[in-house]
Order: sequence, then C-alpha cells, then structure tokens
Amino acid sequence: MRKTLVTLACVAAGAWLAWTPAARAASEGFSLHLDPAVMETLWTDVDTHSAKFEEYRDLSSGFRLKKLHIYGEGDKGNRELDVRLQNVGRADARYDLRYGVAGKYSFTLDYNKIPHNFGNDGHTLYTRTGPGTYEIADPTQLALQTAIGNQYKISPAGINYAFLNRLLTPYLDAANTVSIGLQRDRTSARFDLGKMGTLAWGLQYDHENRVGTRQYGGSFGFSNATELEEPIDYRTNTATLGGEWKGKNGGMSFGYTYSKFENKISTMYFDNPFRATSATDPSAYTAPGAGSIGGSAIGFADLAADNSANRLFWNGRAKLGGWWMHGNAGVTELKQDDPLLPYTLNSSITGIAANGSTFDPTNPANLPANSADRKVRITDLAGDAGTRFADAFGLTFRYKYYDYDDRSREIDFPGYVRFHAVWETVPVATEPFSYKRQDLSGEFSWDFASRSTFLLGYTRERWDLTNRAVSRTDEDILRASIDTRAISNVMLRATYEYGNRTFPGSYDTELEETNNPLMREIDIAERKYDLWSLEAEFYPTDMISFSVGVNGRKDDYKKSVLGLQKDDITRFNADFDYEIANGQHLYAFGEYADRKQDLAGRQSGATPSTNPADGWTVHFKEKNTFGGFGWTGKFAKLWTVDVTARYTKSDGLADFFSPPGGAPDLAFSFNNYEDYDLTGIGAKVDYAITPHASAGVWYLYEKYKIDSFILQGLANYLPGALILDANNGDYRANVVGLRLRLTL
Amino acid sequence: MRTHRMILLAAAVAVLALARASAAGATAAAPAAGTEATYVGAETCAECHDTVAKGLASSPHGKDGFAKLSAHGCETCHGPGSRHVEDPDNVALRPRIDTLDARAQSAICQNCHSGGKQFFWHGGRHEQKGLSCLTCHSVHSPKSDTARLKESSVAEMCFTCHKDVRAETWKTSHHPIREGKITCTDCHNPHGSETPKMIIAASVNDQCYTCHAEKRGPFLWEHPPVRENCMNCHTPHGSNHLKLQKTSVPYLCQQCHANTRHPGTLYDATALAGQAKASNRIFNRACLDCHASIHGSNSPSSPYFGH
Repeated sequence: MRKTLVTLACVAAGAWLAWTPAARAASEGFSLHLDPAVMETLWTDVDTHSAKFEEYRDLSSGFRLKKLHIYGEGDKGNRELDVRLQNVGRADARYDLRYGVAGKYSFTLDYNKIPHNFGNDGHTLYTRTGPGTYEIADPTQLALQTAIGNQYKISPAGINYAFLNRLLTPYLDAANTVSIGLQRDRTSARFDLGKMGTLAWGLQYDHENRVGTRQYGGSFGFSNATELEEPIDYRTNTATLGGEWKGKNGGMSFGYTYSKFENKISTMYFDNPFRATSATDPSAYTAPGAGSIGGSAIGFADLAADNSANRLFWNGRAKLGGWWMHGNAGVTELKQDDPLLPYTLNSSITGIAANGSTFDPTNPANLPANSADRKVRITDLAGDAGTRFADAFGLTFRYKYYDYDDRSREIDFPGYVRFHAVWETVPVATEPFSYKRQDLSGEFSWDFASRSTFLLGYTRERWDLTNRAVSRTDEDILRASIDTRAISNVMLRATYEYGNRTFPGSYDTELEETNNPLMREIDIAERKYDLWSLEAEFYPTDMISFSVGVNGRKDDYKKSVLGLQKDDITRFNADFDYEIANGQHLYAFGEYADRKQDLAGRQSGATPSTNPADGWTVHFKEKNTFGGFGWTGKFAKLWTVDVTARYTKSDGLADFFSPPGGAPDLAFSFNNYEDYDLTGIGAKVDYAITPHASAGVWYLYEKYKIDSFILQGLANYLPGALILDANNGDYRANVVGLRLRLTL
Repeated sequence: MRTHRMILLAAAVAVLALARASAAGATAAAPAAGTEATYVGAETCAECHDTVAKGLASSPHGKDGFAKLSAHGCETCHGPGSRHVEDPDNVALRPRIDTLDARAQSAICQNCHSGGKQFFWHGGRHEQKGLSCLTCHSVHSPKSDTARLKESSVAEMCFTCHKDVRAETWKTSHHPIREGKITCTDCHNPHGSETPKMIIAASVNDQCYTCHAEKRGPFLWEHPPVRENCMNCHTPHGSNHLKLQKTSVPYLCQQCHANTRHPGTLYDATALAGQAKASNRIFNRACLDCHASIHGSNSPSSPYFGH
C-alpha cells in the first residue's frame, strides 16, 4: 500500500514537473505527448529468500509504474522536452529529464537507483549499536571468555572447533538476523551551451549516495575470523566544467574535474566474541586455541578513507594535408589525508619503539604521523596521427604515456599490532608504488577490395615499476586482422594477436623475503599469449541473418616455476535472427566457452621450501554454456505475443595433484568449482483495446541453482570463522504481472 | 598452437582470394559525366518518401535545430537529388548512403558530429575495422529510445558483434548490465578514445574509480597490483567467481603469493567446510576474511591489509 502511494506520488510529481513548464509552454505553442504510460501489478512468489533473485532489481509484489514517457516540442520544433520515468517508486527506479532549445542550450537530469543485495537472513551475534559499532552483549562475551578460560586450565588442547561450536550454538540459535545489501542512488545533471556550434560549454555534476552494508572480515587471529556487516555510507560528488571549440580542420576540448569521496562512517568497532577483557601474549594471534586464549576485547577497522581528485585535461584534433592527428594531455592529483587510528585498542599491549623504549599503542599521539598524508600525481599524455595514401592504404602511429607518481612521504613504524592481539617488533615502512606505462604503436591498413580491410599492427607496451621484483616489463604485441563485406550478404572477420612479455635483468627475489624465490607474480611474469577470432555473418535475405564464430585466448607463463602456468579459453557462438513479417520476429543464440587454468604452488614452513615434493598443482576447468531464444508474434493486428528464454550454466572442476612424500603428501580434487545454472523464461500477451490503449499479462519463471566449493557446508560457525551465512543461493521464482499501456 | 596459426593463415588467404574474386564484378553503373545534380528540397523528397519524411520530422534530424545547421534537409546527407528526381527508376542515380564505403558514410555524419564523443573517431578501433556510423545508428528507423541505435539498447547493439561479452554479462557475478542499470557506454566510448579498449578515462583504474571511488586511495599501505590495474584480479564483464574475480580466492592470491606458512599452503578438498582439515582460508571469503582491506589500508597496524 505504501509503495503504491509512493508510486502515485512520484507519478504526480513527475507529471507536474513535466507539465508545469509544458503548460506554460502550451500557451506558447508547445505540444505534449504521452507515449507510453505502462502500469503493472505484480504478484511474486519466490521459494527461498535468496538475495540473488533481487540482486540488482526490485520485482516485489505490488503496483508499479513501469514506464512513463512524456515528450513535447515547441511548434517550430526548436524546443524539446523529454521525461522518462521507469519503475517509479521502486528500489530500481530511474528518472530522466531532458529539456533543450535547439542550437542554444540543453539540460539533462538522470536519477538512477541501483540496489545491490548480497545476502539475506544472515545470523550474527552482533547488534549494531551505533553507525559503525557492533557489540556482543557483555554477559555473552564474559560467559564465553570464562568457559574458554576454564577449559584452558583443564586442557588447552581441548579448545578446538568442536568445543567452541558447542559453546556458541545456543547463542547463535538466538542470534540477530541481518540482510546484507546496499542502495546506490545516483544523480547526474548536465548543462550544455551551444553544443552544435563553434564554441560549446558543458557543466556536468554527478552525485552518488551509497548506503547499506556488505560483508567484511574482522579478524582477531588465525582462529578467529569474524564476518561482519561493513557499514556503508558513502557520498561521491564529481563536477566537470569543460569547453569545446570546433574549427574547420580541427578542434579542441578542455576542462577541469573535481571529485570528492566521503565516507560518513570511517571506523568500524566490533567486539571479540571470545574476550570480554583485553589480554596479550606472544601467541595471542592464534587465540582461541591450544596456544593462547588472549587477545583484545574489541577490534576496529579503518574503513574506506575520504579522498579527492583534481584533474585538468586537454584534447586536440587536427587535419593537416592528408594527415589527421589527435593529442590529449591530463594532470590529476589524488589526495587522501584521513587521521590515523592508533595501533590498537587493546590496552594490555605495550608498544616498543625503535630505541627499545616502550609506549602506549592505544594513544594515536604515539604514532609517527597524525594523518595519512598521501598524494599522487598522474600525468597522462597521448598522441596519434594517421594518413591514407594511394587511396587504399593507411598508416597510423600512436603513443600513450601514463605516469602514476606516488609522492607520499615514507612513514616508518617501529612495529605493528597483529590481529589486535600482540605487538610485533618488526619495523615496517610505507612504500610508494609509482609506475609508468607507455604504449607505442604503428598500424598499416590496406583496403584490398570493396568494403574489405587488412590491418597489421605492432605495439610495444612498457611498464616501469618501483618496489616490485622487476623494475620494468616490455611487451611486444603483433596484431593482424581481416574484415570484409566484399561478398554480397556475407561479413567475415578474422583476427590474430600475439604478445610476448619479458623483463630485462633478473627477478629480485630478495624484495619479498618470505615469498618462494621460484614464484613469479602474474602481472610481471614472463608471458606469451595468442588471441584469435573468426566470425562469419550471413544475410541471405533482408529478413534473415545468422552468424557463427569461434574465438580464444591462450596465455602461457612457461618460465614461471610457481604461480600461474597457463590460462586458456576457447569460445564458440552461433546466432540466428528472422524478421518474419508484419512485426513477427524470431531469434536464437548460443555460446559455449571452455577455460583451462594451471596453477603451481609450494607449501613451506618457516622458510621457503626448496623441496619439489612440497609442491602442488591445480588444473582448473570451467565450462560455460549460454543460450537463449525469443519470438514475437502479432495476430489480427490486435494481439502481440512475446516469448523469451535464457539459460546460463557453469560447470567447474579443480583437479589437484601433489607428489607424495612432501608437506602436502597427497591432494584431493573437488568438482564444484563454481557450478551454477540460471534458467529464465518469460512470456507476454498484449491486446490492443483501442489504438491508444492495450492490456496484457506477463509471466516470468526463474530458477537459479549454485553448488560452490566456497559455500558448501557453510554454517554460522566453522573452524576459525564466525560467519554471517547470509542466503545468496538457490531460488525458484514465479512472477505474474497485469499491465495496462496507454498513449496520448 | 601452430595448428591454430595455420588455420588462421589459411582462412585469411581464402578470404582474401574470395574477396578479390567477388570485387571484380562489383561495379555500379556510373552516372553520365558532365551533369551536376542540384538540390530539390526536402518537400520534393517527401512527395514520394512520405513515410520516411514523417518519421524524420519527429527526430532530431527533422527539427528546427537541424535546420539551423543546414537548409537542405534530406539532401544534407544524401546529397543533391535532382538527377534522382528526373529518373527515379535508375538505381545508379539513387542517392543511397548505405552503398557507400564506411569512410564515406562516416564522413557525411562527421560534417556535424565531429566533436564531443566522436572526437577520437579517426584511427579508432571501430573505424579501423571498417565500421561506420551506420553500422550502429539508424537515422530513419532506430529501435532504441536514445542514441538512435539499430537495436533496442546500447548493450544489445554492442552484443551483435561482441557475443563473448554478452555471455559474460549473464554469469553469476556481473555488473548490472542485463538489469539495465549500467551499460557499455558507461565505461567505453565506441566512437574511440585515447585509451586502449576505448575506455573513456585515462586508464582502467581511473575508469573503475568513477563508480568505485572508495578504492581510489591512495592508502598508507598499498597493494601494487591493485594500484597498477584492477584487471590484474578482476574481469569486469562477468565471472563465475565472486566479486568479478578472475579466479576464486585463495587461488587468485596464490598466483602471486607462495610465501612461507599459510599463503603457499595447499587448499584442496580436504580443507573445505565440514571436511577433515576444514580451513577458514578456503571457505566463504577465504583470504579476505582476514585480509579484508585488500585494496589498500590506512590502519597503522595493517601492513598486510588486515583492517
């Protein structure tokens, strides 16, 4: 009922918004049209309360104004108004307004509501007592701490999963129920002056409110990971003022953008389920367990920091003789200067400074800096130029430069508090990770026949890196393609690309002392890839088309002993489309993808293992099938029938191997490496009551099933983890809608 | 691998040969030399093409704004039509745009549409592949509500060629493209840009930050692959894995980390929930249940992205 009233209120507001200037304009010769207004009533039945069903939409039962489109223009056609409202009053509503005077100015406004639901009906011991504060009742904390303490006195080894599970079960049975999700509400407004003229100006403003919760890991130690609801209350504001000049042989555009991100809840505080009072000992990061039952009574998380970005940019284009050219330059400054939280809230911990003196780590005054003081300057430049010669040939040259220069000062910390539990006298320092990327390309094209082009290109991509195991990577990329429509009613495309990434010098394995020296990180490892595709489209008549295609990519990391070894994917697709006659349409399509990935690892103890028997490999297979069809039929000029179906399926396997005798002696595979399928079938029938009104009914059936290794057997408490276990899984849904469509 | 390259080479040769053979006879009847066409006016066009004219009148190209740019109406794009009016049955004299090559088609549109989003059209990937404005847009009979596209929406238009992306948008972890909340042109400019893959912003990361500004940082403790390229870990069109990850954690992390103790440990079927060696490093959010601030952290005690 409330939703219906809100909807009707929004409709009234929208109509007033559109009609008031329009009513005034009507006296000046402005005509308005309604085309269409679509009203629906939905009945929705879902067998589970899975958040997946309404992950990004609102299909709840009730009335909805599905669409309202009002548009109008002045008698001379020089003024235009366009208002579009969708799903009015619902969590996925969208409202658009455009008003303009031809050749002079235009104004657009877009309001887009995007829900994002992660999981329903999770269970948590925590109660949210403040915007960023999650507490467990003191008696519960004390009871759990006492019980664990008593067990520790009897037998430390008895503090295991079974024991903790027994302790927690009664509390979890009475736990709070929470649903995790957030709502993004985005507003975008733009004013353009003189858009089609020689000099145009534009002012764009974007605002986003993002409010809700999402899953967050608030850990107190290896045996005490605690899944929480991270409170989200973000505001992002971005404004761009720009201009553009158009000349006969070129033009330029320029502008300034300012963007500010604010997090209204910058810190999250959360209780430790197993401690009512804070304690510490050298093994407290393993608590609760045989080694320790210490730790902090309260933890905290420094949530996303406020930040800002300022950007100046310029673009230019010109034609000189037979050459065209573009240039682009931009400078961006990123800043983040949030106040720093203390090392810990655990008052039992004593910090140790570099000179051996002690200090209170709960006092932020004892930090080497008060705030983050982070700044980055990004300089981006690009230029390209091209020409055509002898009518059939073309040459293009491009260069792009992107410099991410982290200018933040280094801050040295004498140590840190591990898992809120224990001081680690391990000096750590912040490291600026600056990098530069440069792309230099050349391309040759040849129009070898009518509507046919052969393209040959080469790119050299270079990354200069700081504080990484290599200081630079170079990638040579060769590319060739043929696109032709020379044969009547046939389009053929073939593409091949080869890339080879190398790095000069050696891989610095001392940079990360504890990483195995044989490991090669995926983004800097030596790699070769092949990327290829073949597509053919046929149009035997104006009404029929069909296409077939195959494409794939194969990445080889042959020089990596550990890390990603290969990542191959091959895809096949086929499409059919038939515009039958008189508004009737039939289409069908399908795609099959086969992906294989190989990963190699090695299990180590306190030092990186050199024993090959400690190694392991995993071969991943992912097979994806996707298909659909649709049919629209029109009968007796009054009836319209529309049927659609979509099906997507994933079938994955993780096939492990470990040579016997090492640390992981044997390995065992699992075959639910993200298996899921989604079936959606929709049908719609409309009857034209009059030329301006039609009524109809529609039906949607959806079935979603997931069998994922990360979700199987999930419960609120598992070894070392207190989990929300929110429902994002299987569902079967039926939605029926009655609709009325009007035009005026 | 070699087989793939040979097949592609053979296909390329076959295509070239076929195209050359078919091009030989594809010459249209040329108009007689020495007779210049003149403008006849849009009203004259409408006498025969009344349905088209009526449709155009309700579009931007048929309104006052267009008239301020050109007085020639239909003939602004189609060229002077006097010769066609004199001999309408002569196919060669019909001022059709769809029979022109791609560059010629685009040049017509670019008389007005050369700036704004079309600023970097020349040399862009779509132009190089032989596409023109008319590949995606229809002046006379669009199916979309905005941008005058030949399909009902931006995404449907892009999917006519990018079929693999269509399939990816239907994977379980996806951006809300199929729900209609965002679309391809929120990240890409199909008319061309100075960034690879026609990304609108200066880099992939700058593009992602337009919606995910909380990841922009910079942070006290930085995770280098995050700062360099979001696509080191994520695949934006759709994934079988949570949060658009390319591979599920912990295996995604193990593509870079084989450190001592738990990062390099084997997490196989025995580590799943309910199994003999159930480990919180594989079930639920795995590594991210402890390393929650994986995109970077401001907390002095989080050099390893704990909180």
